[in-house]
Amino acid sequence: MSISIKDDDELLLNAYCDGELDPVSAIEFERRLAADQALQDRYARLQSLRRAVRSLPRFDVPTGLEARIKSGLDAASPGQAARPRQRSWSFQALAAAALFGAVISGSVMMTMERYGQRKEVAREVVAGHIRGLLAPQPFDVASSDRHTVKPWFTAHIPESPQVPDLAAEGFVLVGGRVDVVGHDPVATIVYRHAKHTVSVTTLPLGQSVSDQTIAGYNVRSWGDSQFTYVAVSDIPAEDLATFEHAFSTASSVPEVK
Amino acid sequence: MTTPLTVRRSNFRRTGFAGAVLNGRLEGPDRLSGQQQVSVPTVRNKDERAVFDEVFLPHMAEAYRLAQWLTGNASDAEDVVQDAALRAFRGIRNFGAVNARAWSLTIVRNTAYSWLMKNRPKSVVFTDDLSPTEQQELEHEGPLGKRIETPEEIAVLREDAETVQQALAQLPPQFREVIVLREISQLNYRDIAEITNVPIGTVMSRLSRARQLLIAHLGNRK
Repeated sequence: MSISIKDDDELLLNAYCDGELDPVSAIEFERRLAADQALQDRYARLQSLRRAVRSLPRFDVPTGLEARIKSGLDAASPGQAARPRQRSWSFQALAAAALFGAVISGSVMMTMERYGQRKEVAREVVAGHIRGLLAPQPFDVASSDRHTVKPWFTAHIPESPQVPDLAAEGFVLVGGRVDVVGHDPVATIVYRHAKHTVSVTTLPLGQSVSDQTIAGYNVRSWGDSQFTYVAVSDIPAEDLATFEHAFSTASSVPEVK
Repeated sequence: MTTPLTVRRSNFRRTGFAGAVLNGRLEGPDRLSGQQQVSVPTVRNKDERAVFDEVFLPHMAEAYRLAQWLTGNASDAEDVVQDAALRAFRGIRNFGAVNARAWSLTIVRNTAYSWLMKNRPKSVVFTDDLSPTEQQELEHEGPLGKRIETPEEIAVLREDAETVQQALAQLPPQFREVIVLREISQLNYRDIAEITNVPIGTVMSRLSRARQLLIAHLGNRK
């Protein structure tokens, strides 16, 4: 009997409840509503659903969110976004030509240097770790809250990594620092495992470092679609492998290695 | 120069039925988003940071709640809002001085989905990726391919917050987002269409479908 309600009626009913019908259609619909018991039941049911959804408690907004957003923005240098948009064609062409030249010569140089660099990179990463251990504290920003560490990175370097919380796996986040590898600032996340410190340095893609031992520290490297990660610590190589697993699972980028 | 953040305003295809709707702006308590449009002076000459503060920040709490509904938890939501804020700031020149709220929520919504794609790839199914038949099926037959009837006899719904919240959280994303935008953010169809980048007719059918799914879920069965 009441199955006669058509699809369009369902849409009309919804639009009517949402106050989206134009006045003429609304009046027409009200007339039909008054005459049709089945439609009235549907209307009542729809309204009680809307009431229930609207009266859901609102999610609490975390305190300090606005401050963290602002500090994240302080990093994004205003100059970057504020470049004038229109340039004359010849200037663009000139710039493109210059850029092209720079890229070509740059890539040739890089190919030449890459071989020597690979070893150098691992050494520099370990050096960063050791420097961190010698300093009063192995990090520049101290926090076990990834929502503090991640924005801090965003504020200091162009490409910031995911900062997973691995406390459940036994690696407690203690902070982050900026290391310099080659001539580039890179993010290093610092974890503590028992009394040992684990540094994870994030290098741009394309840099590869082989697993090895340098100056008594185990070095382990892996990568995902965004970064090459290099973990350095004095914990045994097996534990470092566990760490890699926990870290790459938690940063949850599926295509590891 | 357009970026992915540019709000598209031109693609409201009106379906035959939707034409009867929305002829003329209604005044009334539901027209919140119309009233809340902030008129912001043209962007060009102002400090971008100041514009950002005026455009995005007032909607931060709402942005956060939307993000939490879309991602399903508080800590993901915070990451999404921070990412979105950065994107909004970088794209602030593309802000057209029309509807700051819809503009901000559009960025948050898009950021949430790209964030989910990247970090929780299994949790999201995008309708855009589905074939037309699959889309049809999803819109009309429920997420698991089986038709969910809305039993006529359901008159009373369970309305306790926990059950309702769970039911809403379990809806497929494209249904959940229209309900959240409509009932929790209290936006009108036009703004929802703009934010979700689908025609108004699709917004209407998704809303109707989503509500039927919720009613079927919340109906007391004896």
